Amino acid sequence: MKVVLQHLTKIFPSRNKKDPNGEVVAVNDFNLEIPDGKLIGLLGPSGCGKSTTLFMISGLEAPTGGKIFFGDDDVTSLSPENRGIGLVFQNYALYPHMTVQQNILFPLQNLKGENRLSKEEMLVRANEVAKLVQIDEYMNRKPSELSGGQQQRVAIARALVKMPRVLLLDEPLSNLDARLRLQTREEIRRIQRDTKITTIFVTHDQEEAMSISDYIVVMKLGVVMQTGKPQWVYDDPANLFVAKFLGTPPIDVLSGCVVGEKLYIGEECVLDVKGVEDQDVYVGIRPEGFTLNDKGRLTCAVSGIDVMGRDISIVSTHPASINPLIRSIISSDEIGKIHDGVAKFDLKEHKVFLFNKETEERVYFGKQVEAHEAMVAQMKEEGEFYSAHEGPLPREADDKIRANAPVAEKKSFFTKIKDILPKKKAPESAPEEEQAPAEQQEGQEPQEAIPAEDGEKTESKE
Amino acid sequence: MENVKNPDAVNEVSEPAENTLQKTMHERDIKKISKKQKVMRFIVQFLLYAFLTVIAISVLFPFYWMLISSLKTLTEYNQTVPTLWPKQFAWSNYATAFTGDLDLGRLFLNTCIVGVVSTLLSLVVTVLAAFAFARLDFKGKNALFAALLATMMIPGELFTITNYITVSTFGWLNTFTVLIVPFLVSVFYIYLLRQNFLQIPNELYLAAKVDGTSDLKYLWKVMIPLSAPTLVTITILKMMGAWNSYIWPRLVANDAAHKLVTVGLRGASFVDLATNMTNYPAQMAAVMIVTIPLLLVFIFFRKYIMRGVSRSGLKG
Amino acid sequence: MDQKKNQWKAWLYLLPTIVLLLIFTVWPIFNTIRMSLLKNYDSARELGGMTFEFGFSNFTAVAQYSGFLTCLGNTMLLTVITVPISTMLALIIAVALNSIKWLKKVFQTIFFLPYVTNSIAIGMVFMTMFQMIGDAPNYSSIGIINTIIEAFGGTRINWVNAGSNYWANMGVLIIYIVWNALPFKILVLLGGLQGVNKQYYDAAKVDGASRLRIFWRVTVPLLSPMIAYVVITGFIGGFKEYSSVVGIFNENMGPVGAPRSLNTMVGFIYDNINTNQGRASAAALILFAIIFAVTMINLYVSKKRVHY
Repeated sequence: MKVVLQHLTKIFPSRNKKDPNGEVVAVNDFNLEIPDGKLIGLLGPSGCGKSTTLFMISGLEAPTGGKIFFGDDDVTSLSPENRGIGLVFQNYALYPHMTVQQNILFPLQNLKGENRLSKEEMLVRANEVAKLVQIDEYMNRKPSELSGGQQQRVAIARALVKMPRVLLLDEPLSNLDARLRLQTREEIRRIQRDTKITTIFVTHDQEEAMSISDYIVVMKLGVVMQTGKPQWVYDDPANLFVAKFLGTPPIDVLSGCVVGEKLYIGEECVLDVKGVEDQDVYVGIRPEGFTLNDKGRLTCAVSGIDVMGRDISIVSTHPASINPLIRSIISSDEIGKIHDGVAKFDLKEHKVFLFNKETEERVYFGKQVEAHEAMVAQMKEEGEFYSAHEGPLPREADDKIRANAPVAEKKSFFTKIKDILPKKKAPESAPEEEQAPAEQQEGQEPQEAIPAEDGEKTESKE
Repeated sequence: MENVKNPDAVNEVSEPAENTLQKTMHERDIKKISKKQKVMRFIVQFLLYAFLTVIAISVLFPFYWMLISSLKTLTEYNQTVPTLWPKQFAWSNYATAFTGDLDLGRLFLNTCIVGVVSTLLSLVVTVLAAFAFARLDFKGKNALFAALLATMMIPGELFTITNYITVSTFGWLNTFTVLIVPFLVSVFYIYLLRQNFLQIPNELYLAAKVDGTSDLKYLWKVMIPLSAPTLVTITILKMMGAWNSYIWPRLVANDAAHKLVTVGLRGASFVDLATNMTNYPAQMAAVMIVTIPLLLVFIFFRKYIMRGVSRSGLKG
Repeated sequence: MDQKKNQWKAWLYLLPTIVLLLIFTVWPIFNTIRMSLLKNYDSARELGGMTFEFGFSNFTAVAQYSGFLTCLGNTMLLTVITVPISTMLALIIAVALNSIKWLKKVFQTIFFLPYVTNSIAIGMVFMTMFQMIGDAPNYSSIGIINTIIEAFGGTRINWVNAGSNYWANMGVLIIYIVWNALPFKILVLLGGLQGVNKQYYDAAKVDGASRLRIFWRVTVPLLSPMIAYVVITGFIGGFKEYSSVVGIFNENMGPVGAPRSLNTMVGFIYDNINTNQGRASAAALILFAIIFAVTMINLYVSKKRVHY
């Protein structure tokens, strides 16, 4: 069953009646078309509206606006029992007073009229489902006598037994320990493949979502940031948030600047970026995007090396880095290329993503442009599932405050530097706190000085 | 990973019989279902409120009846068809309640003396015992506590007979002592307070010991303030107990000087001298006067009363 | 040394409690048993040097005494009828309260009101509601309840007046006792309901269970510990019923012309407390035995039926 969400919006009223601004937009104009028979992971940090979305699909929460379709049916106004869904709760919500079998039979016993099954049919069906989730040995136990993983399977069986059109799982693995988590997620994958029921699950764990989903939907503050096959989204993030949210270890983000189609990080020109206009950027580099090279253009101070067998992880610092540490993963053969606690890196072009510092949207450069276009075209042709957020990105509350600050205070990064230059030293936090609006930036002529974090004058452009 | 476009693919693994739900879901007129849903939801909500309103009226009606009866003249009260609102307000009923054979002022005074003294003494006894059970170590503590709890199982009537003989022997009949002393110890209150004391971290006690604070000072300065809500609960329930108690006072203190309010209320005849009929409006006025303090306590201390009540199952 | 001092101190703290309990709780337990085994025991006469025959004669006398059997029957009947009615009604009210939002607090407060009242005083109010005024058959007023009954086309009933039917009297008592018992039960059950994880209801909704099925298959089992609690306390309270009857029928324990026809076990004990303490003690022990047995049966049943 295809699931289509159109302009789905959920606004929770203010908790404090006196404060009309207290209302929370949990889901904001959510548009999504989920193909039939796939396993979809709704992914995002806590409070991004993913569970709310799931509960709206289930019918337990009524949307404030927008529509939900199952296939061609508009189910927006239907209550949960009329939607034909199965829902697995985060805490499983197994009835503690019923045995496993009674729990699984419960939904069947609620069917009425022509859908009502005979007792034998119900038992047959319950047994079938129990076998599918491999819980059939425990049919006469109470939920309290089962392990977390087994309870999870009973919950799935209960959701599957009436052959739902859509299966929904809320944080299905969060209550399991690490070992069971691995095992159970494979199990979910297998059950979904066997039944081919369109399955939507919610998680905050990107690794979990990446590993089993056919498609992932990355959300932030109630807005879809990007959707697509996990690998594509990982390889081609549409904005800084998605880049930062996916991948372990996480992506390294450095502050940089494009001048004359060259990318500067600190004083160093690290990459040629064809087709990019001059602007301040965040440079996202996947840990595997670094190669050690004695002539490498990115110089980092090594603060530690973790040996992980085949690979080593170099922990280093760089003044322009947004995170305190830079983590890079290198083949262990190259360990000899670190001298005097200094690592010089070259960057793999396809592992480097640029994001406009103001909008945090992706800036494609060089070969990336064609690669991205080719991919989008291919996906369109194959009818695949892909979308990226368009328009202004949602911002955290503190971002809002910054955006609402008087314009006069919002000095362009470049003008700010001009102010500071005579003094020679800029406050350390300056480049972080003040960001240049895009239109002001465009008017600027290429700057001589590209400051690094420490505010020192940097080398001039070539 | 192939893209399944056939919507029926979902059913591939299931037997044909299992398709019914899916198919009917598909064929159903969704608008009809959703309308039916809305109507059902409305009906259910309506029925819920209707039901609760009926119950609420049944609960409130006796109070209402008490109020209006207390304001009717005896003639109006004795009319064939009872009126739902007094034709003229006979405030004099309240005066009669205080002046008739029911000496309400005296009853109030007696009840207040008993209530206040027994509450204060009971609090002292309860706090000391709860402290010993919660904080001090001594031989046989657990056995003693278990024995105390076991006495809660026994119905009070079993004690009353002997206690009646005991207080008669002591010569306590028709004194305030007899109304206060036998009920100073309540195992339930000791239990309630001990539980509360146990929640206060023992480290505070040890720290106080290190500083050389005496037990009594610690009890007064730390434990009592921290368990104030429970003490308030006990105070209110104890006061209400004195106000509502009937059986024991009726048995042991029946003279005017020591009679409690409920005993007096039930015992008074309320005969109207002019007609030689029972003056029910005056009786209802007296009932009102007895009930109002309870309602006031309820309004101001609802939270505390409910806290104690939900754990006891005992009335008053 | 310090240990010893502590021991001594602890007993000092407990001294008032222990002394009072010894006099007013422990001694009565033994004395009641002693008195119940002495034929027609009377403490005043014992002081006068009289001795009493030892044996179970009090128990056999009580068991054969029709006044006692009336009390036992009345008490049983009241308990067996009012506990299920009030529990069921309280459960329905609690569920209804739990499924509304608007005015919830108001209803909750109203429903708790009967708890904080004086049961003798309000019993008197109930009496006036059911009572007819004047002499039969020319009543000057038939009372508000009969007026309401006649307004709905029923016939008046002599509820509490002279010559009234036993079952009419019982009806009034049952209505009053249920009215009085509801608040505590609603409070406990509503507290239990609010403690039930909302997800069970969401799950049941997704599973398409009807409201009635949710009530019987989810709410009742999940609330079973609370239900067991209110049933047990209800039974104990029911067997100790006394003041409701006094409130409505005064100390006659029955309508004019039929005194003691509605007497209860506790009433029987008080009737005998001055004159025949042996018999009163026997009755008190029988009451204790019944309460103990019923509580044990309840606990046993709820252990089997209460689910966790």
